[in-house]
Amino acid sequence: MLVNRVRYLIATGAVGLALCAACVGSAMAGSFDPPPIADQPSTEHHVGKVIWAELVTPDLAGSERFYAGLFGWTFRDLNSGDRHYAVALLDGEPVAGLVQHLVKASDKRQPFWLTFLAVQDVDAATSAAVGHGGKVVVEPRTYNSRGRQAILTDPQGAVFAVIASYSGDPPDYLAAPGGWIWSSLLAHDADTAAAFYQTVFGYEVFDLENDDGMQHVILSTDNYARASVNTLPADSARRHPHWLNFVRVADAADAATKAVALGGSVLVPPRVDRHGGKLAVIADPAGAPFGVMEWTDADSKEEPK
Amino acid sequence: MSIATRRLALAGIGILLGTALSACVAGVGYDGDVGVGYSPGYVEPIGYDYGGWGGGYRVGPGRGGDRRSAPSASHAYRAAPQSRSTPSIPMGSRGGGSHGGHR
Repeated sequence: MLVNRVRYLIATGAVGLALCAACVGSAMAGSFDPPPIADQPSTEHHVGKVIWAELVTPDLAGSERFYAGLFGWTFRDLNSGDRHYAVALLDGEPVAGLVQHLVKASDKRQPFWLTFLAVQDVDAATSAAVGHGGKVVVEPRTYNSRGRQAILTDPQGAVFAVIASYSGDPPDYLAAPGGWIWSSLLAHDADTAAAFYQTVFGYEVFDLENDDGMQHVILSTDNYARASVNTLPADSARRHPHWLNFVRVADAADAATKAVALGGSVLVPPRVDRHGGKLAVIADPAGAPFGVMEWTDADSKEEPK
Repeated sequence: MSIATRRLALAGIGILLGTALSACVAGVGYDGDVGVGYSPGYVEPIGYDYGGWGGGYRVGPGRGGDRRSAPSASHAYRAAPQSRSTPSIPMGSRGGGSHGGHR
């Protein structure tokens, strides 16, 4: 009799423990807490500034090798359950995030760099975006260390994220080589795209003359240029609106050559741009596009040809 | 098995299930909207063209004070007044004095 009671208690206890362990394990695996975007918190807020970029890649180790070789980034690996994440560091400071995400060939998808724009209120920005034709890809969500963020698309389909960072927004300074210096949105209709982002982020919009007649506008907050909006070239039907982020380099041609040697490819060969330095667009070995851009002293700037 | 023992066993199961369910629902708990999974895993559609930029195609920032397009009332956005000078990116060094953007 006593033996039966003990067996009964052990059996029921074991079932309960198993259920508990399964649920806790599931919660832990799904509750990866992305790190803050800065190790040293700032009290500054710069709505509309690109303050973070995150690479979704099927090969985290391969991506780390590529970006370490190209920009000298080092990495802080954070693994939680089945989630593998790495913080890329430039001179010891966080500069980007890399997320491992399996991309099956049947998915017909490719890795890319997700652009994070600073906001004060993620929910208000999301509502404004949706109210003006945007869509929600990932609903607003709060993370313990990082803050609140959401992933959205604009009305033309370009994907971006909005973030209210708990560690504040990085102060405004010129990016060092290896840091993000510029972002461009390439859209089918730059005019209405600029209007959408102006509504959501309150940008001042400056329309610039362009030699090729294509529209090129500058989005500005705090009296600083934050990003450009450009009309996508119309030479191919296989173009889709997207954000493109640029890393500052000392020499865009050298960077492009090095990228190819590391397994990447060149999408736009080095060329002189409006600011007087060269830029190029590169795809990393997994296919994620990004730009490299020189920023030379004003006195040494070349004239665009 | 006595009634008391059964009650004790049921209470134990109840506590364990309650603990398990609360772990599932609450996650890490910050404002009740936390920890149900980090899912930035959006990836771009494949098969699109990048590049193909013509000779005069410019995407970069200016140095500040760049020439504006002629005023037009047909824009979907509200253009900054023509009197406003086109800004540059921040040009000050990290942690060092003036940020130096064109204003």
